[in-house]
Amino acid sequence: MSEVKNHYVSEFQTFEKNGANKAPAWVHDVRKNALSVFNELGFPTTKQEDWKYTNVTPIAKGSFKYSSAPVQIGPDVVKSFLVEGTDQFVMTFVNGHLAPEHSQLSGIPNGIVVSNLIGAYSGHGNIIREYLSKYVKHQKNPFTALNTAFINDGAFVHVPANVAVEKPIHLLFISTKKESDQIASHIRNLIVVEEGAKVNFVVSYRSVGDHTNLTNVVTEIVAKKNSLVEVVKVQKENESAFHVENLHAHQHETSDVRIFSLAIGGAIARNDMSVIIDGEAAECNLNGLYIVTGEQLIDHHTFMHHIHPNCPSHELFKGILTDHGRAVFNGKVYVEPEAQKTDSKQTNRNLLLSDTAIVDTKPELEIFADDVKCTHGAAVGGMNESHSFYLKTRGITEESAKGILTVGFAAEATAKIVHPALRHHVDLMVVDHLRSKLGTANLPDIVHA
Amino acid sequence: MIEIKNLHAKVAGREILKGINLNVKAGEVHAIMGPNGSGKSTLAQVLSGHPAYEVTDGHVLFEGQDLLDMEPEKRAHAGVFLAFQYPVEIPGVSNSYFLKAGLNEIRKSRGEEELDSMQFLKLLKEKMKIVEMDSSFINRPVNEGFSGGEKKRNEILQMAVLEPKLAILDETDSGLDIDALKIVAEGVNKLKSPKNATIVVTHYQRLLNYIVPDFVHVLVNGRIVKSGGKELALELEANGYDFIKEELLQSV
Repeated sequence: MSEVKNHYVSEFQTFEKNGANKAPAWVHDVRKNALSVFNELGFPTTKQEDWKYTNVTPIAKGSFKYSSAPVQIGPDVVKSFLVEGTDQFVMTFVNGHLAPEHSQLSGIPNGIVVSNLIGAYSGHGNIIREYLSKYVKHQKNPFTALNTAFINDGAFVHVPANVAVEKPIHLLFISTKKESDQIASHIRNLIVVEEGAKVNFVVSYRSVGDHTNLTNVVTEIVAKKNSLVEVVKVQKENESAFHVENLHAHQHETSDVRIFSLAIGGAIARNDMSVIIDGEAAECNLNGLYIVTGEQLIDHHTFMHHIHPNCPSHELFKGILTDHGRAVFNGKVYVEPEAQKTDSKQTNRNLLLSDTAIVDTKPELEIFADDVKCTHGAAVGGMNESHSFYLKTRGITEESAKGILTVGFAAEATAKIVHPALRHHVDLMVVDHLRSKLGTANLPDIVHA
Repeated sequence: MIEIKNLHAKVAGREILKGINLNVKAGEVHAIMGPNGSGKSTLAQVLSGHPAYEVTDGHVLFEGQDLLDMEPEKRAHAGVFLAFQYPVEIPGVSNSYFLKAGLNEIRKSRGEEELDSMQFLKLLKEKMKIVEMDSSFINRPVNEGFSGGEKKRNEILQMAVLEPKLAILDETDSGLDIDALKIVAEGVNKLKSPKNATIVVTHYQRLLNYIVPDFVHVLVNGRIVKSGGKELALELEANGYDFIKEELLQSV
């Protein structure tokens, strides 16, 4: 393990010398502190409860390097990653560096800030300083510590009070090959949505090429009073890639946050998604769909923290597994004594299409208030025979029924995406992915309209 | 239309149907009544091809074809329809997609052209009037969150869209209040024609006030023990199933 640490210590020295000095002094202090934390923690092992089912040895063993210079990619490939048929603001990063030539930010109304982090220190340093690393603590999560040690660039979005951003904002992170190096991108995103503001995001993680890179992201979202924030995460990096994200939303009273995770890429992908509902009558919807094929491992660890009364939270995570695919779902719900009238529902359903796929699903409820409604359910099974029979009695063939039910299984999850164009984008990706992975010719495009 | 001869069937190793004989002709409505556990629903499931039921003897001819030899979807193509007692909820799949897929497969099997979305929507809206269903049901997932009455109406809507030759209604009245029952029954009556037939499976006579049968059969312990006209249903309502059982005992 010490070799591994030494690698990152020497990487850190290179990093601090090489371009990372654009950040203000306080950021350097945060980084140094985080590096020492990482040095103490090291990479997690399966002996730790939080990492019991996800062995990150392949990530720990890789000598991933910080990429100081951007890599050129073609405009067509970037275009293919965008949301079809809708206007969107686009900010693209390649291996963690802003790619202005692939970004489309003109026409953003005054006051709304969509910038890279490095570019925002001078104009918005006070907001960044207030919120960066405020709610996401790196003391316990080695990947977050590593990310924080290497804080360099990522997206910074600030939506002022009572502003509704009409077009969705697309944050596009492309990972690509750079010579023979394995690249580590420690992407740091900060989204601050002020009181009464409304905004929709699609945050995409894609690959160009079949190299083995590490994308290690921390995304911090602050949703102020009465704001409405939707974040649709699309993770479809190549199947050699390693992807780790710690996404955290901090909600104030009466805010409404909707997060969706589409996880279909990567060799190992770990998503920590936590929400602190830190205000009364705020609502959170945290949903996701994962598809694992081949030898993929996709892990979601969610944490819903209820602090105040009268807050509903809903979680629906669905998974389709085949081949030797593995999935992990760990859903923690914590209800503080003061959080009366909490209405929390958590569901995890898995469709197993092979005998060799494995899913580990675990709800964790800790409830300290007495007047609450908290439910959870987990299911793992094959194609539902009674559904299939019902379809067949209406004349639908066995093969078509399978296709309809598979797409329908996914569509129940994607239906949680509120923005129609974002939902459509995800639906297209899901069906496209299922077609290429399941080898089922009979998959319908859409079964919900 | 359908000829059932000496039909025996078991489920989970237990024999439920012990020699059913029944002929239904086009234009007729047959009611099958009987106490709980007599095999009514089993008969409906066996006719629609549920894989959990094993036919051990007898045969069923549907318009001259061996029905028992056909997969459930082939039976639907041939014109058999089962209105389920407990329609399943299918999250993610919209009612309209589901119905369009079924209808088009049936049309394809008959060598008819498939309907496109516009044509189908027009047809669906017409058919929804028959069961007084709100258009918001079109894009809702199949039966998800529907009340008991809405699910049964949805079954009859499917029947209206698919236009089967033989409709088997399995306890369509269960769980319905009187208003919903009337709507469902009127829907069935509107779909009645000299060319199609209906088998109504029910425990209670109540539904038969609205869907008037030509024949009533009493099923007890896996066999039809008595057949008659619609007045037999009233007799059963007045005296319960025990009087039939007593008659049976006396005749032994």
